[in-house]
Amino acid sequence: MTTAALTLSSILFAVGVFGVLTRRNAISLLVSVEIMMNAANINLVAFSRLHHPEAMTGQTFALLGIGIAACEAAVGLALILAVRRRFGGTDVHIIDLLRG
Amino acid sequence: MSLSGTFAAGLLLGVVSFTLVGVLTAVLVLAERKVGARMQARVGPMHTGPHGSLQTIADMVKLVMKEDVRPARADAVAFGLGPLLVAVPAILSLAVIPFGAPLVMRDLNVGVLYFLAVPGVTVVGLLLAGWASYDNYSFLGGLRSSAQFISYEIPRGLAVVTVVMLAGSLSTVDLLEAQSRVPYIVLLPVSFVIYAVTSLAEVNRVPFDIPEAESELVAGYHTEYSGFRWALFFLAEYAGLFAASAFGALLFLGGGNGPVLPPVVWLLIKTGGLVFVGIWIRFTLPRFRADQLMRLAWKFFLPLSLANLVLAAAVMRAIA
Amino acid sequence: MSAQELLFAGFGVVAIAGALYSVVTRSLLRAIIGLGAFLTAVAGEFYLLAADLLAVVQVFVYVGGVVVLMLFALMLTASGARHPLAAIDRPRSGAVLACVIGGGLVWASWTVDFAEAPPAPDDAVGALGRALLGAQLGPFEVMGVILLASVVTALSIVRRERP
Repeated sequence: MTTAALTLSSILFAVGVFGVLTRRNAISLLVSVEIMMNAANINLVAFSRLHHPEAMTGQTFALLGIGIAACEAAVGLALILAVRRRFGGTDVHIIDLLRG
Repeated sequence: MSLSGTFAAGLLLGVVSFTLVGVLTAVLVLAERKVGARMQARVGPMHTGPHGSLQTIADMVKLVMKEDVRPARADAVAFGLGPLLVAVPAILSLAVIPFGAPLVMRDLNVGVLYFLAVPGVTVVGLLLAGWASYDNYSFLGGLRSSAQFISYEIPRGLAVVTVVMLAGSLSTVDLLEAQSRVPYIVLLPVSFVIYAVTSLAEVNRVPFDIPEAESELVAGYHTEYSGFRWALFFLAEYAGLFAASAFGALLFLGGGNGPVLPPVVWLLIKTGGLVFVGIWIRFTLPRFRADQLMRLAWKFFLPLSLANLVLAAAVMRAIA
Repeated sequence: MSAQELLFAGFGVVAIAGALYSVVTRSLLRAIIGLGAFLTAVAGEFYLLAADLLAVVQVFVYVGGVVVLMLFALMLTASGARHPLAAIDRPRSGAVLACVIGGGLVWASWTVDFAEAPPAPDDAVGALGRALLGAQLGPFEVMGVILLASVVTALSIVRRERP
């Protein structure tokens, strides 16, 4: 079970990496990052099951990870809205000004 | 149980519960029309079957036979997914209601949280339906309905948290046992009021039925839907009303606890009572305006539910 | 193969399919739909790995929260286009690099011989609750502060300057 979970999470992580590498749109980038975070969470939960399941350390970690992902999505999407307003698009390549 | 047995049982359960929800919707719609007619000194549907009792069956048959129209420029995937994502969570949320000894479908040890989480998926369906219809009324309706849903989800959750604190468990079966002597409506009246009002908002019922604000939005997110897909939205509304009432009965009225009669009957009586109140409100109150609705959620219910939570925790701490 | 293993494999296939679909489709709307399928399948995996609470939280926070946020952001930035599309840059080199990383990770997880997992505790939800309010209280509280800070940040970023 552990090996299966780790394999699954590795594949999902690779899919997320592919998305981050090939996408230019900010929303797509965020989607890919969420995929990678979930892959990491599967890992944490699988190890929580393996080592001291009663201490719940891994599950706590994954729970906090879910919370962080929610924060990241909120702030990231707010940034995307601001970029869209300032530059007229959501492609990350159009953000090429250091001045505000 | 063998592997194929497990899956066959699951499939059977799915088919049976979908059928049950269909029958339930028929009964609830008829009840709503009859009660509403009484309140307005009419007789309601009378022609199909004795006292119009088969009217909703006939309506359903008509709905399913109607042509399924899809706007030419609509996104096919999202347009199809929208109604499904609205209807399926409403039906799934019924799975954790303990109807009585033989009929608990699943005693999840996170049942209460499940009931709060699963209907949340509905918002995705509302947004997809509104967006995919390629129609400004649908789009605005979808945005408004989902904003309303999200806003009322928070005070609702906070009201349920007080119940969970008092019972010390997230399992619906434990909740029943915890209320065997005193139902929680006596101990947590404010939570009950918050839960009842926000639940009406969650299932898009009067006075929070923004999708049906026909003078401004035609029919909200389901403007472009017809036939079976529209029937799914309809089904979701009544399944949602039933689920919210059944959960209200479970959380605050002691669910299936009661003398003499079997638990199923008690739960259905209490649920029916709450459904009746919902219908009563529908034929009594006018609709809120969209901005009033948001103000009510954020400036009244959110602070109220937070204060209620803190107060409940303090009182429980003082007693314990 | 037990029902549990079969379900694990089934959810895994759905998760991978959803994730792949959302990174290769050009339509942003469909990418988010794929992400929704992926997240739901991951919730199923959590349930099978004896993390009931996490599974429900996953549905609550991700499917009911993050996906909705993304849909809102997509609709607010689409500038009238109903099928917003996004390009894919250099898919070949990206695929090669992703395969290398994924292959390395899979190889690494196969080289270790893991022990059989001990039985899950009876009251897993209670244990998680006690952990969060006991040994892990510090991180849990910090999490709350971070959430509040991010809400305030998000609001201040999107706030329109009044003329």
